[in-house]
Amino acid sequence: MNALVSRYSQPAYQHEGHSDNDTQKQLALDVAPSLSLNFALPPIASTASWLRAMTDDHANPNVPIKLAHGTTTLAFRFKGGIIVATDSRATAGNWIASQTVKKVIEINSCLLGTMAGGAADCQYWLAYLGMQCRLHELRHKRRISVAAASKILANLVYSYKGMGLSMGTMCAGVTPMEGPALYYVDNDGTRLAGNLFCVGSGQTFAYGVLDAEYKYDMEEDEALELGRRSILAATHRDAYSGGFVNLYHIKEEGWVRHGFNDTNPLFWKYKLEKGEFSNVTSQLV
Amino acid sequence: MEVLLGITGKDFCIVAASKAAMRGASILKANDDKTRTLNKNTLMAFSGEPGDTVQFAEYIQANIQLYSMRNSSDLSPFEVSSFVRAELAKSLRSRSPYTVNLLLGGYDSIKQKPELYWIDYLASSAPVPYAAHGYAQYYCLSILDKHHHPDISFEQGMKILRMCTDELKRRLPIDFKGVNVKIIDKDGIREEPYSDDKQVYAP
Amino acid sequence: MSSPFSINGGACVAMRGKNCVAIACDLRLGLQSLTVSNNFPKIFQYSPTAFLGLTGLATDVSTVSELFRYKVNMYRLREERDIAPKTFAQLVSSSLYERRFGPWFVSPVVAGIDGKSGAPFICGFDSIGCIDYAADFIVSGTASDQLFGTCEGLWEPDLEPDDLFETISQALLNAVDRDALSGWGAHVYIIEKDKVTKRLLKGRQD
Repeated sequence: MNALVSRYSQPAYQHEGHSDNDTQKQLALDVAPSLSLNFALPPIASTASWLRAMTDDHANPNVPIKLAHGTTTLAFRFKGGIIVATDSRATAGNWIASQTVKKVIEINSCLLGTMAGGAADCQYWLAYLGMQCRLHELRHKRRISVAAASKILANLVYSYKGMGLSMGTMCAGVTPMEGPALYYVDNDGTRLAGNLFCVGSGQTFAYGVLDAEYKYDMEEDEALELGRRSILAATHRDAYSGGFVNLYHIKEEGWVRHGFNDTNPLFWKYKLEKGEFSNVTSQLV
Repeated sequence: MEVLLGITGKDFCIVAASKAAMRGASILKANDDKTRTLNKNTLMAFSGEPGDTVQFAEYIQANIQLYSMRNSSDLSPFEVSSFVRAELAKSLRSRSPYTVNLLLGGYDSIKQKPELYWIDYLASSAPVPYAAHGYAQYYCLSILDKHHHPDISFEQGMKILRMCTDELKRRLPIDFKGVNVKIIDKDGIREEPYSDDKQVYAP
Repeated sequence: MSSPFSINGGACVAMRGKNCVAIACDLRLGLQSLTVSNNFPKIFQYSPTAFLGLTGLATDVSTVSELFRYKVNMYRLREERDIAPKTFAQLVSSSLYERRFGPWFVSPVVAGIDGKSGAPFICGFDSIGCIDYAADFIVSGTASDQLFGTCEGLWEPDLEPDDLFETISQALLNAVDRDALSGWGAHVYIIEKDKVTKRLLKGRQD
């Protein structure tokens, strides 16, 4: 696999044999694609366990390398397409590193990926997936299916199994041949098709709200509302989720973005107008 | 995978506890009662380390009953919660602490208000309108956040409880054999029949 | 297993102003990532103008606050007067040191005004009773790093009560918004010689 990839990741003109001086070589290196799949490994025997010892902040909060973690993402199929929603918080330990992360990655106009787990892993490999999807499109003159796209990702992460990749993603899209399709892919190589998934540290809270009212035959506004409310529930109870609700709806024509809304005004709207979240005090007694 | 749930409403408090007694890979009993009645209007549900749970609960029960006999009056739910928390905090810094999580449901007949206390094995205590222990917290608190209101009727309370137990049946990988449901209100404590015949599937 | 100081989360800050002091805390009670209660105040009153803020392990916050209630009540009965903040600070210090070899996992903060002289007083402690006197501000809890930043940036000498309220509120709210384990609302006390104002801040609920 790596040999194949390295062959195709070289620019075509390098094989033409007319350039051999050093400046040309340097130039070739500069224009080589950035996604070249060459990763430096630490010069020790067991890379994976060393990396885990350095980065697993759950086992030891004082690790030297703190990766951005913690998320709530969800996606579900319904009669009008697929809803994809995420929060926007990135944490490194207990430190809130960002409240404005984009956890939905727009692979193309009909395909979305979500990120949970290691932020860098997800960003990098979903960008890579985007590239592969585009190449597929160019080679085959038609858009890649969601099944194929998710399989590329699943095979890819499986080839790095045990090396410490951390990602829980969903690939969602609508294609003419499949209709609305939703796949869950994670770092141990699991790939599942399904109607409804929640991924991340806040997944259980989102499942709670979502399962209670989920029906396949929902109207569009009902579905958008349920997605938004489920993320809000998770941001409220899970310390490592928060920030903004990033909401997408995928239809046959492609995806539509339904805003990047701050959870704070949203929360007080539900509390004060609907009387939800009765555990939160809003008055001094 | 023990489940404890508590919901307060307008004039009642619902406490539900899973019926399965598990040891290792086996379910030893499928109609276990994880609650003890402390006095006329206070009920305690417990989960945690096998052995510790019942020992601690019955120790508390005996002491609260002793108080009621000596003084011919019951402690209020808040007073009971203070006593329980203090005992658990004392045990926490002893040679062998009790590893017990508790929900204390009660009805204060002077304030005429239901009360619910969440107490964990570290003896952190908080008065709450609804609560859960164990994995149930992660699935049910978000449901309760959405559907609970302080002045819900008993029927609405049971409906929300049903939403919670359905979600647990749907998502927990191990069967907890349904729940025992107890109600605490102005008339005391009673058991509420709770059917467990519906199958729920993950969508 | 994480540190006992950061299981439940929480933050507290005290500030000195002109003839006044302020003390504020967040309201979260959590279990690691899970938020259990949004109504767990960490400031306790022990005399008309002496306040104690306690962050750290929630069980010890409750136990220690009750222990001081007992001790201060006993002091009041014996001495027939309210305890002064400075005296109270010494009581806190020696009580914490009694547990030198098995400490309470709390980081206390004392804020108050001397009943006789009207002098403002704030101080903080480590978990075994070392007193940290300060002329400006004291911070504690899981958001203490962030609080140091916001307080260094916002505090200035001789603030009037209203300005002190604004300063301490902004310092606390902006600090806890960068900490995953604290926030979910806040209580603020502004303490003047013969007036105490308590306010609830509606913070972000995520």
